[in-house]
Amino acid sequence: MKLNIARNVHYESGPNMTPLVDIVMVILIFLMLAGSFGGAEHFLTSNLPLAQKGLSNAPPPPGWVPDEPLEIRVDPVGDGFRATAGVIRASDAATLTLQLENMRDQFNHAGTATNKIQVIIIPAKNVQYDHLIKVYESALNAKFEKVAFATAHD
Amino acid sequence: MRRRRRRYRPIPRYSEASVNVTPLIDVVMVLIVFFMLVARIGISTGAEAMTLPSTLTGVKIEDLGNTLTLNVHYENLPQPQVMALIGGEMHELPISDGRGNQPLMETLKAFRERNRDFKVILRAPKSMPYSYLEPILQACAQAAVKNVNFSTEVRMEEVRP
Repeated sequence: MKLNIARNVHYESGPNMTPLVDIVMVILIFLMLAGSFGGAEHFLTSNLPLAQKGLSNAPPPPGWVPDEPLEIRVDPVGDGFRATAGVIRASDAATLTLQLENMRDQFNHAGTATNKIQVIIIPAKNVQYDHLIKVYESALNAKFEKVAFATAHD
Repeated sequence: MRRRRRRYRPIPRYSEASVNVTPLIDVVMVLIVFFMLVARIGISTGAEAMTLPSTLTGVKIEDLGNTLTLNVHYENLPQPQVMALIGGEMHELPISDGRGNQPLMETLKAFRERNRDFKVILRAPKSMPYSYLEPILQACAQAAVKNVNFSTEVRMEEVRP
């Protein structure tokens, strides 16, 4: 009698995935260990970090119109700050942004283009960097294009 | 009379007992693609851990090769201590060394002369007074470095009156 046993044995056919998994795991661990991740950081860019006067003796080119200065004084008040510039009085970034936007509109209505306004932040020596960055950001949010720091006032 | 065929009881199939690795490979491949896209391998700007100010607005800098990151420390120091990664090593760049040299300004000037697109990334603790920041900005101005980027943390919420 002929037995029909061996014919029904099933062999699993297909690629052997074990080496692939090994290599993929090695790549994964390497990337996790070697990679550095950019934290949640970004940058406030300044094309004129410090506004200085009297650096050059060269005469200005003919027809040159100096920028209209808008000076913002920043003083420490308790744990916060106070920014003043003409009629502007602000002690938080949001209020300062709104007031600077109004100021920019007034400049524009008076015929001064935004790119001809030079915002100069004049801090006291002991103003915290955090507060200066808030003032700086407010000026950028108010769509001013030229923002710079000046040497500290007394 | 119809002859009934004799039915054999089927022999149980032999199947290889193994773990199904297909979902594992799927997940691992997704992770690898994620890490390859997000991770920056071999790029070190020399940024030191510190509490940065936070802002809503800001830009990303793509060409970090043209930048020099200045880490500023001020605690219990008469003048700011500026640390920067130059040539693969962290160097201190004093504002003034007491012998009439200005290492920070001279270093920035050398970078600027070699590379017209040179940028400075400034990292300073949020509580630092402006008196420590001012000489660094002066050094940048004297070295004709026009592009200074203040590094800040991303603030997620917006507060408006």
